[in-house]
Amino acid sequence: MGIVICDNVSKSFKKNRAIKNLSCTFQENRITGLIGRNGAGKTTLLKTIAGRWRPNEGVVKVFDEDPYDNLKVSANMICVNDELVFSPELTLDEILKSGEMFYSNWDMEIAEGLFDYFELNPNLYHDQLSKGKLSTFNMIVGLASRCPLTIFDEPTTGMDYSVRQDFYRALLKDYINHPRTIILSSHLLNELEDILEDIVLIDKGEICLHESMNDLKEYAIRITGKREDIEPFIVEENILHKKKLEFNLESLVVKNEFSKEEIEQMKQRGIQILNVDAADLSMFLTGQSKGGIDDVF
Amino acid sequence: MVLNHDSVKPIYVQIAEWLETEILNEHISPGEKMYSQYQLADMFNINPATAAKGLNILANNNILYKKRGLGMFVKEAAKEMILLKRKNENLKQMVRDLVQEANYLGVSNDELYQLINDIRNEGQGE
Repeated sequence: MGIVICDNVSKSFKKNRAIKNLSCTFQENRITGLIGRNGAGKTTLLKTIAGRWRPNEGVVKVFDEDPYDNLKVSANMICVNDELVFSPELTLDEILKSGEMFYSNWDMEIAEGLFDYFELNPNLYHDQLSKGKLSTFNMIVGLASRCPLTIFDEPTTGMDYSVRQDFYRALLKDYINHPRTIILSSHLLNELEDILEDIVLIDKGEICLHESMNDLKEYAIRITGKREDIEPFIVEENILHKKKLEFNLESLVVKNEFSKEEIEQMKQRGIQILNVDAADLSMFLTGQSKGGIDDVF
Repeated sequence: MVLNHDSVKPIYVQIAEWLETEILNEHISPGEKMYSQYQLADMFNINPATAAKGLNILANNNILYKKRGLGMFVKEAAKEMILLKRKNENLKQMVRDLVQEANYLGVSNDELYQLINDIRNEGQGE
């Protein structure tokens, strides 16, 4: 069942269309990664889903209702980002207690457990926290609220590597114990790909791909060999990335539409076949040109 | 086991192979309950859907069977099925790669057999 349904949604800021005629459905009780480059429209999409903004065109439905200014949606949804504002009068400890009053599924045991584990000071105020500690605290609020729809927009900003690993693990464990719909935007795909079920790739305000993570990993392969050896196997429009190497060698990333026999034939001709990791693949799929930074110099 | 992220093998295939090894090593016997997708997700830090995909490979190969509402269980002939499958698929592929390399190096069949014999004897000598 679709918990979030976007149908032909556009959102503009002055003359800049941040998302364009975008349609997609986020399925119930899945962890979906929303991946895209800086400025691709991730935050705009998430804020529109969260009901902070009204789209200029199209329809957004969350739990079958318009999320904008909607009490039912805001009671069952949390959107964690680095703009999360809490009352400056409240200490961190008091913020957790107010979370318990607002969210019916709030789990104080998890909140306090994580709070202690990450060594946060209960007497501090929200605006006194460092970047990393702020993200850590917001993440705790996001997990403990246990909302049927939980959105994390770049939740790991400022977190160091080990805190990020702990966060991914905490998210997965809590999801296993309490399945719910989670949307996670990030550009650190290689760090979190294992815990995702689905991936939505967004580029220039449009959906570029929506697949299961396991299918994405088999979406393309890298083929390296002599140009004349490779050529007969390649369909030009399937090429996602091309790199010329020395000695007339070429390394191509292509959509994996090969049969087992073709793969075997290629190997016999000494063509090297490797898989493409998800992070590289999403870079190729959202790249402006088939070249790279080297073309600038 | 630690998952190998650089491997050509997808994560769910690695999970399936680990489960097979668990059965071959008799850590889980015929008739016993297999780990659930959620236990595997927790153990390997992966999405439960990926773990389920690994379990389904074994179910499709008649190594596991589903009991409605109870989970997956190990079939009586599981070990034989796994050995057969590994011989037909994995070992054959390894031999294919071996022969390809031998051809490339101009190694004759006799030389290759001799090499295999030597390696086998090495193993027995220890």
